[in-house]
Amino acid sequence: MKYVNEFRNAELARAVASQIAAITDPDRHYKLMEVCGGHTHTIYRHGIKDLLPDQVELVHGPGCPVCVLPMGRVDEGIVIAERPEVIFTCFGDMMRVPGSKGNLLEVKAQGADIRMVYSPLDALRIARENPDREVVFYAIGFETTAPSTALTLQRAKKEGLENFSVFCNHVTIVPPVRALLDSPDLRLDAFIGPGHVSTVIGCRPYEFMPKDYGKPVAVAGFEPLDILQSVLMLMRQLDKGRCEVENQYGRVVLWEGNLAALKSMAEVFELRPYFEWRGLGFIAQSALKLSASYADFDAELRYSTPGVRVADPKACQCGEVLKGVLKPHECRVFGTACTPDHPLGALMVSSEGACAAYYNFGRKSFEKVEIGSKQ
Amino acid sequence: MSDACTLDHDGCVVCSDAGIPVRVLSVEGDDALCEDGAGNQAQIAVELVIPVRIGEILLTHGGVAIGKVGERDEEGI
Repeated sequence: MKYVNEFRNAELARAVASQIAAITDPDRHYKLMEVCGGHTHTIYRHGIKDLLPDQVELVHGPGCPVCVLPMGRVDEGIVIAERPEVIFTCFGDMMRVPGSKGNLLEVKAQGADIRMVYSPLDALRIARENPDREVVFYAIGFETTAPSTALTLQRAKKEGLENFSVFCNHVTIVPPVRALLDSPDLRLDAFIGPGHVSTVIGCRPYEFMPKDYGKPVAVAGFEPLDILQSVLMLMRQLDKGRCEVENQYGRVVLWEGNLAALKSMAEVFELRPYFEWRGLGFIAQSALKLSASYADFDAELRYSTPGVRVADPKACQCGEVLKGVLKPHECRVFGTACTPDHPLGALMVSSEGACAAYYNFGRKSFEKVEIGSKQ
Repeated sequence: MSDACTLDHDGCVVCSDAGIPVRVLSVEGDDALCEDGAGNQAQIAVELVIPVRIGEILLTHGGVAIGKVGERDEEGI
């Protein structure tokens, strides 16, 4: 397909990699964070790391919505799913995210009516087809996904569907990035911005990063050449002493974002005062809940969920990995107690999670060989 | 595009920051029949990107088009 294949051209990739190498200071170490889990996935799937000079390190950020969801929110979803009148719907990866007493897949095996959907609009269709049942959609995701939930709720309201509700876990990207920037142990030089979140919110929300924190940003697409070009753009900024937000993904991302999507979100959602992020703790105004005019569709109100907090397993070091302090393979349970088949932490569950990417695309064995060779 | 994001495979089923480029085949009201690079077809809600024309490439996420893909950039590739 046009706009995809040309961004996988190996010859061009090598040319961009050469340009990156040419402006890399051999005496400097560069740490660039890719905020988005989708970028992490691309980086490992296509071996981008192997094309970069040793001095350029890519650090994985908090941009995987499944990975940052605290266990208490999984448990609350399970409590709703176990109700006999409920058809519980969710995206595929949510099924395997561990709560404190199991995951949705296990609850489904025990008889709960839990169905995987591709779109919240599929959940709405299920509600239409089952007027005698209560259909709940487990909404999760950044601003990329929030418009689809907003649109679904607008359609539900227009149709007057009373047996449909949403358990809202949508989060926003800027507050956790700001929390990272405020972290005293932050040692990052620049950021690769999330391309599809930016399709919705635009580039303007990142302007505080160069302005207030002196960190360059390049909003990037998800093909291998997109990542490499964004690294080159950041390296050029660092080389020339420039510091600004650049848009590498101009074929999709508009500077002001998708105004229709933002309007839809503004009608359906409002900011929560605070929300707990796995590994990052409570962050103010970092998540969305349904607005007062959509309260009738709010599963938290309909089922009076208690807001339980559950601590992560002690052995799990997802928090350190999310903050870029540890590499996935440096976690004490990586590849042993925690694997994609039996995930202990959420970073091993989602295909966008840094640990799953490390494990599935051979990074684990590569790192082990590399470590062994140094000994 | 054998290993690209498609409508029936990859991390796109989940809620992450993944988007699938699809081509518009026909438009009916607020929905459009679209096809991805592997030939999979699906109804996509398009009211967030209207107006939509047949042949346009849309970026979709969770069954909803959130953007258009095209050569209108000023800075990027």
